Amino acid sequence: MSTEIKELKYSTFKTNIKYSVINTKVHNVDGIAKVTGRAQYTFDIKLPGMLYGKILRSPHPHARIINIDTTRAMELPGVKAVVTGKDTLGIKQGIWRRYEELCDEQILPLEKVRYIGEPVAAVAAVTEEIAEQALDLIDVEYEVLPAVFEPLDAIKKDAPVIHEGVERNVNVTRHIEWGDVDEAFAEAEKNGGYIREDWFRCSGQHHMCMETRAAVSSYTPEGKLTVWASTQSAYYTQALIAGVLGMREGDVRVIATYVGGGFGGKFELDAAMFCSAVLSKKLCKPVKIVFTREEDMIASKRRTPMYYYVRTAMSRDGQLLARESRMFSNGGAYTGMGATALYLSGFFHSFPYKWKAYRYDGYRVYTNTMPSTSMRGFGAPQAMFCSEQQIEWMCADLGLDPYEVRRKNAHTECYEVPGQAFIQSCGMTECIDKIEQWAKSKGDLGPNRAIGISSCGFMSGGIFNWFDSPYSFSSAVVTINIDGTVELHVGCQDIGQGSNTTMAIIAAETLGVKVEDIKVHSGDTDHCPADLGAWGSRQTLMAGNAVKMACEDAKRQLLEFAYAEMGLNIVYDLDIKDRWVHVIARPERGMKYEDLVRKAIRAKDGQRIVGRGYYTPHRKGMISPAYSYMMQAVDAEIDPETGKIKVHEIMTAHDCGQPINPLGLVGQLEGAASMALGYAYLEDLPMDEGKLLNPNLVDYKVIRAPEMPKTGMIDIETYEAEGPYGAKEAGEGLTNPTAAALGNAIFHALGIQMKELPLTPERILRALREKKEKEANK
Amino acid sequence: MINDFNYLKPGSVKEAFEMYAEHDDCKVICGGQSLLIVMRQGMVAPEYLLDIKGLDELRYIKYDEKDGLRIGATTTHREIEKSPIIQEKYPVLSLMETKLASIQTRNWGTIGGNLAHADPAGDPAPVLIALNANIKVGGKNGERTMPLEDFFKDYFETALEKGELVLEVHVPVPPAKTSVAYQKFNLLDSDMGIVAVAASITLNGDDTCKDARIVLGNAAPIPKRVKNAEELLKGKKFDEKLFEEVGRISYEESEPVADIHASEEHRRHLLSVLTKRMIKKAWEQARAVA
Ligand SMILES: Cc1cc2nc3c(=O)[nH]c(=O)nc-3n(C[C@H](O)[C@H](O)[C@H](O)COP(=O)(O)OP(=O)(O)OC[C@H]3O[C@@H](n4cnc5c(N)ncnc54)[C@H](O)[C@@H]3O)c2cc1C
Repeated sequence: MSTEIKELKYSTFKTNIKYSVINTKVHNVDGIAKVTGRAQYTFDIKLPGMLYGKILRSPHPHARIINIDTTRAMELPGVKAVVTGKDTLGIKQGIWRRYEELCDEQILPLEKVRYIGEPVAAVAAVTEEIAEQALDLIDVEYEVLPAVFEPLDAIKKDAPVIHEGVERNVNVTRHIEWGDVDEAFAEAEKNGGYIREDWFRCSGQHHMCMETRAAVSSYTPEGKLTVWASTQSAYYTQALIAGVLGMREGDVRVIATYVGGGFGGKFELDAAMFCSAVLSKKLCKPVKIVFTREEDMIASKRRTPMYYYVRTAMSRDGQLLARESRMFSNGGAYTGMGATALYLSGFFHSFPYKWKAYRYDGYRVYTNTMPSTSMRGFGAPQAMFCSEQQIEWMCADLGLDPYEVRRKNAHTECYEVPGQAFIQSCGMTECIDKIEQWAKSKGDLGPNRAIGISSCGFMSGGIFNWFDSPYSFSSAVVTINIDGTVELHVGCQDIGQGSNTTMAIIAAETLGVKVEDIKVHSGDTDHCPADLGAWGSRQTLMAGNAVKMACEDAKRQLLEFAYAEMGLNIVYDLDIKDRWVHVIARPERGMKYEDLVRKAIRAKDGQRIVGRGYYTPHRKGMISPAYSYMMQAVDAEIDPETGKIKVHEIMTAHDCGQPINPLGLVGQLEGAASMALGYAYLEDLPMDEGKLLNPNLVDYKVIRAPEMPKTGMIDIETYEAEGPYGAKEAGEGLTNPTAAALGNAIFHALGIQMKELPLTPERILRALREKKEKEANK
Repeated sequence: MINDFNYLKPGSVKEAFEMYAEHDDCKVICGGQSLLIVMRQGMVAPEYLLDIKGLDELRYIKYDEKDGLRIGATTTHREIEKSPIIQEKYPVLSLMETKLASIQTRNWGTIGGNLAHADPAGDPAPVLIALNANIKVGGKNGERTMPLEDFFKDYFETALEKGELVLEVHVPVPPAKTSVAYQKFNLLDSDMGIVAVAASITLNGDDTCKDARIVLGNAAPIPKRVKNAEELLKGKKFDEKLFEEVGRISYEESEPVADIHASEEHRRHLLSVLTKRMIKKAWEQARAVA
């Protein structure tokens, strides 16, 4: 990109407009329905004549299915149907629909099972108990095959073949490169620069949604299917189900009004959706399948475990010169969204620094374990754990100030990541300044306690269309009723993160009405326009732009009429705020919004006012139209005798452009902190020969209220030209820095370098012992 | 899924004894906080459940300056935690309860159920054994009392005979200049302990150790006394080196089992650290008491 553009100062650009709704504390529009129990989640759906489904799962990590005999199960009174792969079209599906070889999962496989917990048959019965009993009566004959569980084993020449024809089990590879890396390293060496290399191991993590995977499918003799689903994207679910059942998309309706969490784990087709749909289609009766917590843990998907090799060159005065990284991820049995995580991990591993030369090679390797996929942060928390710790250690090795080094190399506005992305707004430097001030204001913290920092950035709306959606990425339709109330139909999916509230705020601001005037309709493919859904930190920016455009369209129609009605000189501007239609230069001159609507509808021959909006990023590169930035500081104390960590406080300086809803923002900050802290020191998915050892909430530990530290946010204001009202991502990226920052706190508190997640007491004590031994040997 | 069962609801302890004797495949349920979990996992599937939660005859906390403390079996954890007399006379019991599970669980779970369940990771047992407590059990054929220490037989196994219920826990009045400290190690506050240590120290007038009781939790199939360590302390002065030494005995004498939460080595290490810390803490507290 040309140098002239770099002269432009986006972040100094301000609209100078006072908002009446944006950045005010708005409570969730569906909050009351939720806390009073009125909100109907998929789990709550009950239909007349509804049957209950259960899934039989493989006990083997890798086995050929020789025969499945369902006779005995069918004889059990109350059982209505048993289906296996033979009752399906046998379509290999996947969410990367543009790439046939990455559509590798038959949810009821015909030939082989590839992980423990993989579905092999499903039952529908009149009660859940009978369905469960029937599972014991299905006789499956397996030929057990040799299995492999770790990527570094699975990539070996003589490893068992998990998918026919996939050499060395390498599912996807990703190469990212700019600058001349080899030359940059050679130069660094010649000039006496510092080069360091480290290996890291990052663990998996379960999404742990409050609502486990659940679906109710109802196929009717008219040939129409309705599916209530716990999904992050009603449209993806609709398209994927239609695909595997050989139906037209329009004949499948997906309803997901309320979803109890997603975190990246719920936008692929899952076995609850698929099996209930297959059973319902066979029986012409509604079938409900709800995963138990254990099923959800052993046989859904998980954050991608990664092995990272990182080699970095830094000049003696702290200039980052070059980086070369290799990553091997445990892909598990199928592709899922893991291919995207592979790419994003490598891309954000470079963030938020201006590398002159950078190379990343990622290998996603199939293993006989539960598939890995996207999860909040999408590969970046792992990447930051490695990158931000290594940079901290290098600063310490060279005796450099880690804030200064980060500032020196940080992204700034209007920066081009060579050949990859163009950054418009960027408040990274301010984030560093503010956290440095905050950390220094804390003074001496005493022994075994320190503050660790990590900076990072994240995308604000993934520009990925591997799904091959023919629709706009986001769409919205706004309809204004005769009394001025507004129906807002959006495709974007509220999964608890509050997107309905965000959309209501943007609509209310744009139309000049109040939030309570807006009724948001979402999560129903029959009534809402298509949208890619809630993933990739895309909804505020993309759906927000669509909503803004739709509301501007409707508002323009109203103001056209107001112009005529008020007989204004065309040089005057009209606006609506707080339900008052007025001349901007003379705010007292105007009319009531309700009166205007009534008149305008009459003038339109009785038609309600309808506005349409849509958004698809163009000319924004291949990754994201905008990027959020942040620096996080974790204040932690470690008991050097037991290895136990106590986190006192987490402070984050955060650039998310213009905040839309401060309440939503704090909710995201706190939620991300608890999830990321859990990832940092508690949560893990240990397996023995592919069998998960902690498939319950007694043995799988998540952060609870007493462990939750104080959290705080310093808002760094920038204006993002591509975002609605200048807004960017807030929520997913906040998961990225925490593990690294905690690792750095441990480094400064105890002088040990933690290269493996989670940061358990035993690992801490082992590192302390090794440090002592090293010192003794000196 | 929980199996279908027949529900028995006695109106008195006497009736409970009779019902329990009459029905063969019968399990007692009180707060259900442990039983329902194993039933849900299908590990226990009784034909009858005898619900004693409503037996208020067994729901009491009594204190007498000579006799000490008596807690009825159906008393909840929360009631023990909140009892002013326990907070005053046996603060370690109340403190232990504040870290036993969540308030919701403490509102349901009972002391009788906790001890009868005999989970080696249970919190009350080590503390009560350090306090030299007795347990009263009984059935249709009468009652008997034993030191709590003798009540535990193996993982989830107790001295209860068929048809017997836990009736009461009795904690004698501690000797002068005695204090008990307890701590469990876990990563989540109020979670089950990975290991735990209770230590009771009684001091002589000259601040030397008169008596000590050290009990390890989740270090063996049953709560484990470390008698060699106790002996070592007797007659000695406050000495942190000595406490290290005592910790080492805990390390050696414990027989913890590794699982995903901690290796055997790490458990032993934690037991030694906690033993050292609890002795020191109890000692310092004992100096302050009359
Ligand atoms: C989330 C959670 C966290 C927990 N954390 C802890 C913890 O940190 N520390 C800890 O110590 N415990 C913990 N527990 C265990 C639990 O609190 C106790 O074991 C519980 O108090 C048992 O009491 P109950 O009345 O609920 O017993 P129940 O579950 O009703 O019964 C438990 C067992 O005892 C038998 N039983 C019950 N009462 C009697 C009686 N009077 N006589 C004879 N047999 C009887 C039953 O047959 C059954 O075998 C936790 C439990 C949960 C659910």
